[in-house]
Amino acid sequence: MSGKPRETANVGVGLWKATGMWAWLLFRISGLILVFYLGAHIVIISTGQFGGDGETLNSLMKTFDHPVLVLLDLALVVAVLYHALNGVRIILMDFGIGVHRHKLLFWSAMAVVVICFAIFAWVAFTYIVTGEGVTS
Amino acid sequence: MKAEVVSTHRGGMWSWVFQRVTAVLLIVMLAIHLIFTHILNIGELNYDNIADRLAHAGLTAVDIILLAAGIYHALNGLRMVLMDYWFTSRTRALILTIVLWVVGIAFMAYGTWALWPWIS
Repeated sequence: MSGKPRETANVGVGLWKATGMWAWLLFRISGLILVFYLGAHIVIISTGQFGGDGETLNSLMKTFDHPVLVLLDLALVVAVLYHALNGVRIILMDFGIGVHRHKLLFWSAMAVVVICFAIFAWVAFTYIVTGEGVTS
Repeated sequence: MKAEVVSTHRGGMWSWVFQRVTAVLLIVMLAIHLIFTHILNIGELNYDNIADRLAHAGLTAVDIILLAAGIYHALNGLRMVLMDYWFTSRTRALILTIVLWVVGIAFMAYGTWALWPWIS
């Protein structure tokens, strides 16, 4: 618990300036959103077992199929993808990979976020417009 | 040049290690969970098609690992954030850790209860 800065491979490459600082802040904000969502997800989805015949879950699912809530799901996907890919970047840097090119690493991770988001956006909009899944 | 430190390991070495182990588990398990639930599915979710998917032991296992890894990662992450603000002393941090373990075990029990029809 000492406050003395430890020598690490991260020394002096500017991780706490500009890109690195925003990456950290968004990581923290998306993390807090996901903690809140996970709690809500477990509590609400588990209530679907009340009654034991699945009717509770079915009525929950009807509520969640509203277009506004599908769009909120898509916002959640952004938080998940950002947190996941920035997390990959952090783990890579723990292994000393890309520390001196952390901006390039960050923007590469964001490119993966955009590609994955496009897939989920396609699924969500297909569902909103047609009411069908993309593989049905 | 001033030292800049990213991982200070304040929460303890094991908390740091498990945060990374659960991170990797979450990426794999969450990808499976989302692909099977929302991409390969048949439009609207309902109890019957969810039960059909969970009838495969592998997908129930994915959900249980996801539940455990997710709760650990979420609450340990929350702990790291809170320890930056108010739970800064050793005593406060310890109280926080104990409270979060109790909350985590309660969530794990509740989520496992909901998945029980497919576990048993």
